[in-house]
Amino acid sequence: MSRLLAAIASTLGIVSARRHRALQAQAADLKSAVAEWKSKATDATNRMRTLEQELRRQTQINEKLRASADKAKQKQGDIEKLRAQLQNAERELAGAREHLMVIEVKLDILEGAANVLDARTRTAVARSAGGTGAPV
Amino acid sequence: MSRRDDAPLVSIVLTGRNDGYGGDFTTRFFRTLRFNLQQLASRGISHEIVFVEWAPPAGSPLLIDQILGAVPELDPSICSWWVVDGRYQEALSLNPRLEYLEFLAKNVGVRRARGRFVLTSNCDVYFGRRVLEALERGALHPRVLYRAPRHDIKLAVDQSTLDWRVLEDPRNLDGPAHVLKPPYMGSATGDFVLLDRESFHEIRGFNEIYRVARIGIDRNVLVKALSSGISIADIGGPVYHVNHVGSYRISPAAYAGREAEAHWGDRRWHSGGVSYTNPPTWGLGEAPDRRLGEHLHYVDFSWDAVPPLVDLRRIVLPAARRGGPMPGHYVRKR
Repeated sequence: MSRLLAAIASTLGIVSARRHRALQAQAADLKSAVAEWKSKATDATNRMRTLEQELRRQTQINEKLRASADKAKQKQGDIEKLRAQLQNAERELAGAREHLMVIEVKLDILEGAANVLDARTRTAVARSAGGTGAPV
Repeated sequence: MSRRDDAPLVSIVLTGRNDGYGGDFTTRFFRTLRFNLQQLASRGISHEIVFVEWAPPAGSPLLIDQILGAVPELDPSICSWWVVDGRYQEALSLNPRLEYLEFLAKNVGVRRARGRFVLTSNCDVYFGRRVLEALERGALHPRVLYRAPRHDIKLAVDQSTLDWRVLEDPRNLDGPAHVLKPPYMGSATGDFVLLDRESFHEIRGFNEIYRVARIGIDRNVLVKALSSGISIADIGGPVYHVNHVGSYRISPAAYAGREAEAHWGDRRWHSGGVSYTNPPTWGLGEAPDRRLGEHLHYVDFSWDAVPPLVDLRRIVLPAARRGGPMPGHYVRKR
């Protein structure tokens, strides 16, 4: 009998007071959970936005670094070219110095020969002029 | 230039003349020669003395006329004496301040030496123990130019009683003992260059093209040797030289600021940076000679034997051999 009454009451949307309290409590719990989840969703959304910003920032940094790395690589290539050019220049300079030494030694010889020939000529001229042979 | 079977181990090439060089040259020379001959004889080292009396001054007796009486240790049979006509000095000179073309004189001796090895030295250089030991052991190799550092003995040391005790006493050294530094192992090179005869002929002796200076020609032969693939080694001990008046070693700065006036020539020439190719007639090879005695020759003057005054193509860049040192660095002269 009681079951029948309960079924009729349920059909009419009538619940017992105890059941009503229980449902109220459950509804309150659900509201609280909804609020909590809303808060978490807001936090997550905020966090997502922050992370998106961070991602954009990191992407920019990454691009900058990549650009810098490309520049550095290019500079390294330039440095190696310069180093090779420097080595070539040093070799050429050493070679030029060696040739300069040879030229200076030859100039010494020419200067010595010129002095000797000058002295011999002066002596010969003085002798042919009937002089003493002393430098004139 | 074939080797004779009776060739001595070493020809010792010396040059000089009776001109009082350094004050009382003959006394210093005879004393040194006696010491060296005694040491060579006591160790049984087979040797010959090749002496080139270069352009002897007129009016002074020849050294050959005095030496046999003054140096009883000198056996004429192991002596080869070459008196060179004085006109060569004038004809060859490219610098009237050089009164003695020392290395051309040495080349005359090197060319005519018979020994398996040829040692060019100077008349006032005493051979040290290690040098004599190396000769005694015959521990010499072809294609190696041996060098010995020179230890200078103080001018004030009593030279009349020079013996091992005096020579080897560090207190008698004039300054720190020289140490040879690779690769050139230069420093007083003219006092000790020992090389096998064939190699000496291959490089054609000391530089005869650059006759403007005397100083540095000895160092230049080291450049030539390295450039020719000949290695340079320290023989292991010093030679000794007693300081005397006029020695470059005791007055290297005497011509500071006027180097071109020095009687040894301008020391700043590039002796470490250039090489040379002497003509095949090096060492007055074309000069006529007369025999004046069994071991005495006179090298007569002939213009045919005089190389050109200028022969610039014979001054060349040294070759850098694999593993060998690079040619010398440029040093600005002026």
